[in-house]
Amino acid sequence: MNSVFKNQTQNNKGKRRRSMKKIFLSVFTVLAVTVFGLAFNATAEEGVTDTEIHIGQWGPQTGPAAPWGAVARGTDAYFKMINAEGGIHGRKLVHHYFDDAYNPAKTVAGVKQLQEDIGMFAWVSGVGTACGLAVKDYLIERKIPWLSPSAGSRHWIEPPNKYIFNIYPLYLGDAQILCQYAVKKLGFKRIAIAFQNDDYGKQGLEGATKQLAKYKMKLVEEVPINVADTDLKPHIMKFRKAEAEAILLFVGPGHVARLIGTGKAMEFEPQWMTSTTCGDVPLMMAITKGLYAGTILASFGMLNPKQVGIGNVEDINNPSHPLLKKYHEKAFKQFAAKEERWGLTFAAGIAYTEPFIEALKRVGKNLTREKLVAEMEKIRNFQGIMGHVSYAPFKPKDPLCRIGQQEIFISQATPDAKLKVLTDWIKTEFIPSSK
Amino acid sequence: MIDFFQMILSGIAVGSSYALMGLGMVLIYKASEVPNFVQGEMALLPVFIAYMLLSSYGLPYYVAFPLTLIFALFLGCFLEFAVLRRAKEPNILGLIIITIGMEMLLLGFVSWKFGADQRAMPFPISTYDSIIIGDIYISTIDMLTLVVALIIMLILFLFFRYSKIGVAMKATQQNETAAALMGIKTHRVRMITWGISSLVGCVAGLLLSAVLTEPYMMWDPMLKGFAGAVVGGMTSLPGAVFGAYIVGVVEHLFGGYVSIEFKSVVAFAIIVLVLCIKPSGLFARHYVKKV
Repeated sequence: MNSVFKNQTQNNKGKRRRSMKKIFLSVFTVLAVTVFGLAFNATAEEGVTDTEIHIGQWGPQTGPAAPWGAVARGTDAYFKMINAEGGIHGRKLVHHYFDDAYNPAKTVAGVKQLQEDIGMFAWVSGVGTACGLAVKDYLIERKIPWLSPSAGSRHWIEPPNKYIFNIYPLYLGDAQILCQYAVKKLGFKRIAIAFQNDDYGKQGLEGATKQLAKYKMKLVEEVPINVADTDLKPHIMKFRKAEAEAILLFVGPGHVARLIGTGKAMEFEPQWMTSTTCGDVPLMMAITKGLYAGTILASFGMLNPKQVGIGNVEDINNPSHPLLKKYHEKAFKQFAAKEERWGLTFAAGIAYTEPFIEALKRVGKNLTREKLVAEMEKIRNFQGIMGHVSYAPFKPKDPLCRIGQQEIFISQATPDAKLKVLTDWIKTEFIPSSK
Repeated sequence: MIDFFQMILSGIAVGSSYALMGLGMVLIYKASEVPNFVQGEMALLPVFIAYMLLSSYGLPYYVAFPLTLIFALFLGCFLEFAVLRRAKEPNILGLIIITIGMEMLLLGFVSWKFGADQRAMPFPISTYDSIIIGDIYISTIDMLTLVVALIIMLILFLFFRYSKIGVAMKATQQNETAAALMGIKTHRVRMITWGISSLVGCVAGLLLSAVLTEPYMMWDPMLKGFAGAVVGGMTSLPGAVFGAYIVGVVEHLFGGYVSIEFKSVVAFAIIVLVLCIKPSGLFARHYVKKV
């Protein structure tokens, strides 16, 4: 009996030891998995999973700047096209864009919500200088890359920031090249400017003033226009009184239409010249009932002047640029909404994000924000459907390391709503604000 | 001196569209005692309907424009019947908020349905031709606006003076209880007032759309019309008209001689000035309640 009890006791002890071992192993396994799992999560990047990359964007879908909402919709169709082609290194691009109605307060709220609730890997484009400025510091503080702000403002590169990559040629440059063309090529002596009373217009004013100073000339009239202004007769009277031969228009498409129309009604028809923001020629021709024909404009892409040839004409609805043709067929026709209109603004939404997509491809499977920034910095003379885009390793005192595209070309609207190429790419000069 | 006369004429021309908007606002203010912030959008929606009838359905102007005006009339009546009348014992603030809400709804609907792009409204006359008197220019569309505004003012004058419904409207505006006791269906009268106001605003909208058609096109004219109405007196139809012309002319003179940058805000400076000197407006009677 005793031996039986002894054996039973020994058996029980053995069982207990085995079960202790099992418990210990289980706890150890759970702890190990947790620790390794945590370690893995700690290195995984926000907004990136094995199958997805989350990318944010804001843009006005309603409000006074709603026509520029096509930028975000263009980006969306482009990302869908990339996903349909298999994504990037097995990951799909998940595009989160929201309507901020061109209202900086809404931009801040929307960016914070998406960043803190879902977690964006990076932000792309983003229409409007004021809207961008409202969230710039928030993104910088969190070291979140913001690629290609959709406005040609000096604020994005002065001072430069490691995580912000500009692409849009600066409005300062538009004004320089337009003045250069007006004086040197067309021989105008009396140049004036109508400028939107904000950062966009004022940078156009600054660029024009500085360029004309090189020729020992001054603007004969500088007329500010507020966004809400609809009656522009007094503005035209000022230009007429100043006997302006050429007028630079650094205003939105609606104001361009009103100025040209009011000028025509008052029998005042100078050479109108405008910035990249009014490059949607079919739209401009429609809203001016044809008066836009002959307007000279700064262009940042959607055709390659080298390929089209100076003096030749290009139709954005039937593009000769092979890449733009592809986007028209595979992004716009397949993924844009039925009522969407193909035009410069929509295509610009694609163009602004091309270098970002290139950098994502170069990074490879192991995607982090730091690696993305490193690959963006290696981009040199990249050309998609805009001009050449270059970045350089970050230097806190060198705005050019983040400037992106510095070249534009001059073109002219034709009566059949096409674009006549007047020059090859011209490199613009960066003007620091201190100069 | 030519510049001065040009500014005066341009101010009168632009003041005509403000006057139409101001008239619409005063009509409603007299009927419902509420500054109507949906006035602009009551014109905007019919304008886009006109654009649709002309561009998508290819209707001729003489069919599309009358249909648009009828639509505007019904829209005004509908808003009063379906929204304003449903408000239970609202105070003035409540009514103002209701009109702001309707403004946002209609603007949102137009942006959603028709998109945000600017468009060119097909119009029977060229918006870029002008009539030249000496060295002074007036565009044909401005001339048309001026003439149409004067005709509408005359029609409204005759309507309130001689038509049965016009007299009923005046009676309702002056004393609703007494009017109801006299057998006037005051609810119906108020609804018709909203319809007429919408119709007048729609005329202004159609004339403004000839230059550029876009979802936000009525905001500035509505504010300027409101400014004109406040300057002239919110209870006086001729006052609203004169106030609007004052705003248009002063705006142009200020833009020409003082600062073009602040041209668009001068209207509101005029409001403050007038309200300080004569709170009921320049042309309205100032009633003092005696206790």
